[in-house]
Amino acid sequence: MLWVDKYRPKTLDKMIVHQEIAMNLKKLVSEHDCPHLLFYGPPGAGKKTLIMALLKQMFGPGAEKVKIENKIWKVDVSFCSHVSSFYWLIFQIGLAGTRTLDLELTTLSSTHHVELNPSDAGFQDRYIVQEIIKEMAKSRPIDTKGKKGFKVLVLNEVDKLSREAQHSLRRTMEKYSASCRLILCCNSSSKVTEAVRSRCLNVRVNAPTEEQIIRVLEFIGKKEGLSLPTGLGSRIAAQSNRSLRRAILSFETCRVQQYPFTENQAVPPMDWEQYVSEIAIDIVQEQSPKRLFLVRGKLYELLVNCIPPEIVLKKLLSELLKKLDSELKHEVCHWAAYYEHRMRMGQKAIFHIEAFVAKFMSIYKQFLIETFG
Amino acid sequence: MDMETDIPLPDELEWLESNALLDQEPDLDFYPPFEEEEEEDHLPEPSAKIPENQTSKKRPRSNDDDYDASSPKGSDEKRSRKSPEAEPDEDWLRYSPPAAAENSALDPVIDAGPADEVVAPVAVEEKVLSRFASEIDGECISVTGPGGDRVYAKMSRWEMENDGKRLHVERPLNGLLSEPINVLIERVEQEAFTKTLQVSSEAVSESVHSNIPAASEQLWVDKYAPNSFTELLSDEQTNREVLLWLKQWDSCVFGSQIRATTDDVLFSLRRHSSIAQHQKFADGKSYFSMNRSTSLGSQFSRQSNGFSQGDGSLKGISESRNKKSPGNNPPEQKVLLLCGPPGLGKTTLAHVAAKHCGYRAMEINASDDRSSSTIESKILDVVQMNSVMADGKPKCLVIDEIDGALGEGKGAVEAILKLVAADKKSLIGKESNAQEAKPGKLSSRKGPKASTLSRPVICICNDLFAPALRPLRQVAKVHTFVQPTVSRVVNRLKYICNKEGFKASAIALTALAEFTECDIRSCLNTLQFLNKKKETLNTLEVGSQVVGRKDISKSVYDVWKEVFQKRKAKRERKSTSGSNSSATDFDFLYSLISNRYGDSELTMVGIHENFLQLHYHDPMMQKTVMCLNNLGVSDSLVQYMMRTQQMSLIVYQPSIMIAIRSLIAQVEKPNIEWPKSFHRYRATLMEKKDILKLWHNKISPSISRHLSVESFVECSVSQLLHILSPPTLRPVALHLLSEREKDDLAQLVDTMVSYSITYKNLKFEPQPSMQRHEEASDAPVLSFDPPIGDFVNYKGYHSGHSGLSLAMKQVLVHEVEKQRIMQESIGRLGILNDGSNSEGQPFLRGESTTELSIKSKAMTASVQSYTVNLKSTSGLKENGSKNLAAPCGLKLKGPGEAKKASSGSSSFFDRFRKSSKKGSQNDNDHLQQPATVERDSRPFLFKFNEGFTNAVKRPVRIRELLL
Repeated sequence: MLWVDKYRPKTLDKMIVHQEIAMNLKKLVSEHDCPHLLFYGPPGAGKKTLIMALLKQMFGPGAEKVKIENKIWKVDVSFCSHVSSFYWLIFQIGLAGTRTLDLELTTLSSTHHVELNPSDAGFQDRYIVQEIIKEMAKSRPIDTKGKKGFKVLVLNEVDKLSREAQHSLRRTMEKYSASCRLILCCNSSSKVTEAVRSRCLNVRVNAPTEEQIIRVLEFIGKKEGLSLPTGLGSRIAAQSNRSLRRAILSFETCRVQQYPFTENQAVPPMDWEQYVSEIAIDIVQEQSPKRLFLVRGKLYELLVNCIPPEIVLKKLLSELLKKLDSELKHEVCHWAAYYEHRMRMGQKAIFHIEAFVAKFMSIYKQFLIETFG
Repeated sequence: MDMETDIPLPDELEWLESNALLDQEPDLDFYPPFEEEEEEDHLPEPSAKIPENQTSKKRPRSNDDDYDASSPKGSDEKRSRKSPEAEPDEDWLRYSPPAAAENSALDPVIDAGPADEVVAPVAVEEKVLSRFASEIDGECISVTGPGGDRVYAKMSRWEMENDGKRLHVERPLNGLLSEPINVLIERVEQEAFTKTLQVSSEAVSESVHSNIPAASEQLWVDKYAPNSFTELLSDEQTNREVLLWLKQWDSCVFGSQIRATTDDVLFSLRRHSSIAQHQKFADGKSYFSMNRSTSLGSQFSRQSNGFSQGDGSLKGISESRNKKSPGNNPPEQKVLLLCGPPGLGKTTLAHVAAKHCGYRAMEINASDDRSSSTIESKILDVVQMNSVMADGKPKCLVIDEIDGALGEGKGAVEAILKLVAADKKSLIGKESNAQEAKPGKLSSRKGPKASTLSRPVICICNDLFAPALRPLRQVAKVHTFVQPTVSRVVNRLKYICNKEGFKASAIALTALAEFTECDIRSCLNTLQFLNKKKETLNTLEVGSQVVGRKDISKSVYDVWKEVFQKRKAKRERKSTSGSNSSATDFDFLYSLISNRYGDSELTMVGIHENFLQLHYHDPMMQKTVMCLNNLGVSDSLVQYMMRTQQMSLIVYQPSIMIAIRSLIAQVEKPNIEWPKSFHRYRATLMEKKDILKLWHNKISPSISRHLSVESFVECSVSQLLHILSPPTLRPVALHLLSEREKDDLAQLVDTMVSYSITYKNLKFEPQPSMQRHEEASDAPVLSFDPPIGDFVNYKGYHSGHSGLSLAMKQVLVHEVEKQRIMQESIGRLGILNDGSNSEGQPFLRGESTTELSIKSKAMTASVQSYTVNLKSTSGLKENGSKNLAAPCGLKLKGPGEAKKASSGSSSFFDRFRKSSKKGSQNDNDHLQQPATVERDSRPFLFKFNEGFTNAVKRPVRIRELLL
C-alpha cells in the first residue's frame, strides 16, 4: 500500500491537518445535529479523508465495510421533460410518451451510507439526481432507534453536475432531510448553485500549509523509521503545490530512489509539469504561427493524457510568468483569466488555450520589439 | 355514344322530327333509353314529353303480357338497342313502322291512352309538322332544332279536349315561353359547346404552328456545343491531358504501328500549348526528329514535374520511348476521372476528345440502369468487343455522373475496379519494367485475358470526394476541371449572341458568366430564354433576373477553401467597386457556409487545424490572436446553443467564419487537410479515461475512493511510476537479496496488488523471421497492465522513468499474482472462519509439516536449479517479513510447459522419497510417512522439470503452496 493510503487518518481524532474542522465535525456528530454538508477545497487537501473519518465517527466501523456496486438503473423519463440536448430531440422524435433510460452508476455502499459520483452520467446526471438519489433518500434505514435514523449520501464532484441536476438536488435535500443527509464534495464551491450551498453547512477544506505538510511527512517518517532531513522535507513540501497527497507520494518516491536521505536530494518532478515548462520555453523562444502549431501539438499531448485543460492553462501561466518581465505579468495574468473564462464557456479547450498562447506570443513579441528594437 | 357529338344532318333531323311524334310513344314504351338518345340528339320534343312518358310508362309494360305477339319483337328491339349505335337510323327506320302498327293495334286495348298516341296515327294523315306555319292549319307550336331549323308542329285539338289534365301539365311547360326551358338550356349549352370546340380547334392549329418553329430551334447549348477539339472552352491544360491520355491508348486499341501515335507526337502534344498545332500532330505525322525529341522530352519532363498527376504517365511514356517498341501499352491508369462543377463541359470534353481520337463514345449516365450486373456486362461489351457497326470505330466508355451512383449504382465503380485490378495483375506478369506501385509481384502470365480493360474508360463526376469514388480515385487518373477564364466564356457567349442576333453587352455577359460561375450551360440557357422573351440582358439584374442560382452542393473542403483563399478577380473588383462587391462577397460566403449548418462545428475545427499553415503576414501575431478569439467565440456559441437549445443562434456561425476569412485569406492556394487531430484527441481521451476508470473500479474501494480519475494523472501518476520502479532493486535471485531489499520488494508487491497493477506481456512477436533476426525480440516485453506508463509518454518528451529490468518485472508478475491469490483465499477463509483470531492458521497447520519437508528436499536436491520456495505459513510468521523467493529465470506458466518431463518428475520423486527417508530432520516422522504414502497414491496434477523449474505438485491447494 502506498503511504498515502497507509497513513491516512481513519478517525477524526487522528487528524494532523485540519484538526479544527475535525473537532467541529466531531462536535456536530456528538450533538446529533448533523446538517447537510458541503466540503470544498483543492484536490489533495483532505476532503475525502475528512468525510470518511466523519462517517466512521457517525456510524462506527460499520461505515468502513463498503462494497462496490455497479448497477444499471432504469429510469422512466417522460418525453417532454427530458430533452436536455438537441441530439436527444432528434433521437426521440419518433417515440412519444415515456421511455426508459438505462443509467449505469457505480456506487460504494455500506449499510449506513452510499457514495456515488453523479456527474459520471454526463448530461444525464439530472436523472440520477431526480430518480436514483431520490429513491435512495426516500428509504429510511430500518434500525430506527431514534438516534441514527438517517442514512448518508456522499456525492462526489458536485461542481461537475449540470445546473439542472443541481436544481433537482435542492428539492431532494429539503424533502428527505429527515431520513437522509447529503454530504457533498467538490473542488470549487463557486460552481455549486447558491441554492444548494445555502442548504448545506459549508466546510472549506484548505490546502494544507507547508508547515502542516512537513509535519505530516515527519510523522510518516517516524512511523516508517526513517530519518527525514529537514531540508528535504521542506523542499518536498514546497514542490508539492500544497497538495498533501502529492507531498506524501513524492516523499515515498524519494525513499524508493535513494534511502539514506541526503539533504539536497532531488525530488522527482511531475512529468506533465516538466512538459509544460518545455512548452513555455518553446513559446518564449519564438513567436510565430509555426511555433504556435508546434505548441498546439504538445498541448494536445497533455490534454489527451487526461490532464484537465484548466490545470494545463494554469501551469502554463505560472511557467510563463517565471520567464517574464514584471511589467508584463499583470497583463498576461489578465489574459489567462480571460481565456480560462472562455474555456469554461466553450467546449473545445484547445481553442482557448491556444488563443492564450497566441495572445502571449503577441504581447511578448511586442514587448521584445519595444525594448530591444 | 356516338350520337352525342354527332350533329345530325339537317335532313335527317327533319326526318327525325317528323317521325318523332309518331314513334315517340312505342319507342318509349319498349326502350326508354331511346329517350336518352333523343335528348342527346337535342331533339326538343321528347324531353318536352317526359312527364307524359313517365305517367304512361307503367301501363304498356303491364300490358306486355297481354300480347305475346309483340314480345318477341320487343326482345328483338332490345337486342337491336344493344347493337352498335352507329346505326340508330336503321333502328328508326326498321322499327318505327311496326311500332306504329303496334300502336294502332294497341289502340283498342288502351282505354285512356295518352293524347300523343292517339295523335300519332292522325298525324300521319294530316300534316302536323312543317317548316312553315302556314302549312299547318290550326294551332301550331314552333319547335327549333339545334341547328336553328324551326319547324312548326300542329297542336292537337283532341289533346286539349280529351285530356285536359295532361294539358294542364303541358301548358306551363311550353306555354309561357315560346320554347320550353329545357330547349333553351340545351341550346345555350350547345352553343357554348360548339364555341369551345371551335376555340380549341383553333388553339390546336395555333399550337401546332408555334410548335413547329420550336422543334426546329435547338437549345443553344446543343446547337453551339463544340464539335471539334479546338472549340472546347475548358481549360487547355486539361484538354490536352485528356487528349494525351486517350492518345496513349492508340497503340493498344488500334494496334497497327502506322496509326499508332508516335511518342514524339505525344510529347509535342504535351509541349505545345496551341491546340491547332497539336491537332496536326494527332494525324500521326511525326514532327520532330528522334534526337530532338529526346532533348525535348527531358525538357518537358522537367516542366511537367509540377503536375502531380502527370508524373506517372510521363515516366511511362519516356520508358516506352526508350524501349523503342511501344507494343500494346495502354496508359498507366486505365481510367480517367474528370471532376468539376456542373456546366464546365466535362461531358462535352469527353465526347469531343473521344471523337477526335477516333473512338465512338458510349455513354452510360445516371438515367441508365446502373445495377452491378447490368453495368458490368455493359462495360465488358464496350470495352472488349469490337464494334460491328458500319464505322468500325472502337468504343470509348464514358460513364457520366458516376458520383451520383450510390447503393445499387456503386456497381459501376466496382465493375471498373475489378477490371482495373485484373488488368494490373496481368500487366505485372507481362512487363517487368512497368511502373507498378503494387509491391506484390505476381509472376503469372496468364492474366485473365477475358476481363482486361482494353478500351479507354472516362468517368465523370461532380464531387471528387464522394464516398463512392474513394476506391476509384486511387486507380484512376484524376483531372479536376477548373473554371475557364471569364473572358473566354464571354468571348464564346458573344460569338453565339452575334450568331443568334441577340444583343448583349460584354459587361452584361461578363456579369452573367460570373454569376453562374462560368457555367456555360446555364449562361446559354439564360441567354436563349431572354432571347425568346425578347428581353435584353441587364447587367444589374443578373442576380434577380431569370438566372436560377445553381444548387451547388459544396463540400466542406470548398468552404474551407473559400475561407482560406482570396479570389484574385474578386480583389481586383474590390478596388474598383468598393464596398458593393465586398457586400456581395459576404452574401456569397454567408450562403455558402450556411448551406452547411450541420457541419459548422466541423468547419470550425477544420479552420482551426489548417489556418496556421497559411502564409499570412502576421509579424506581431495579432491576426492569429484574433482568429483564435473568433474561433473561441464560435465555440462558446456552440456550447451555449447546445445548453439552451436555442438552435436559431446557429445563423451567427457563418459570420464568424467570414470574419476569420477577412483576416487570413490568401491569394495562393491553401493546402487543406482534413482535420484529424481534434477527433483523434477526443477519441484517445475517451479511451484513456476508460482505461483509468476500469482500473479505478478494480482497486479496492478504500483506496479508490480517494483517487479521482480526473486528478490521477495530474498529481499522482509520475510518483506512482517512480515508486513502482525503484532503481535500488537489484535484478538478482530473490534469496540473494538482503533483508532490507526483501522488505522493499514485499512492499512494492503489496503496493502493486493493492493498486491492482501488474505487468503484462504486451508485445508478443509471433513471426519466426523476426526471431531469427534478433534474439532479444524473443523475450516478451512486459509493461504495466493498466498502461499507466502511457500517461507520461508525451511526444518529444523524455521522461526520467527507468523501467525495471525484464527479469525483475517477471519476478514481480509472479509475486503479484501470488500475493493476489493469497489475499483472495485469505479473504475467503476469513469469511469461512468468520472471526477466528488468526485467519487460515488452523486450516493450514495439518499440512505444514509435509510442506516443510518438500521445501527442504527441493532445496537440497537441486542446488543449481531454481526452485520455488514453498514457504509454510509458520515460516512466514517467524520471519515477520515476507521472504519471497523466486528465480529470475522463472517463466510465465504456459500450457506448453508442462508437456514433457514426466520422466523427470518420476525420477525426482524417487530421489525425493529417498531423501525424505534419509534426511529426516522433521521431528514428526510418524506424520510424514503416511503423508507421503498418501501423496504418492494420488495422481500428479502438475509436473516437474528437473534442473529447471519449480514445481512438484500434488493435490494441494494453491494457498498452501503460497504460504
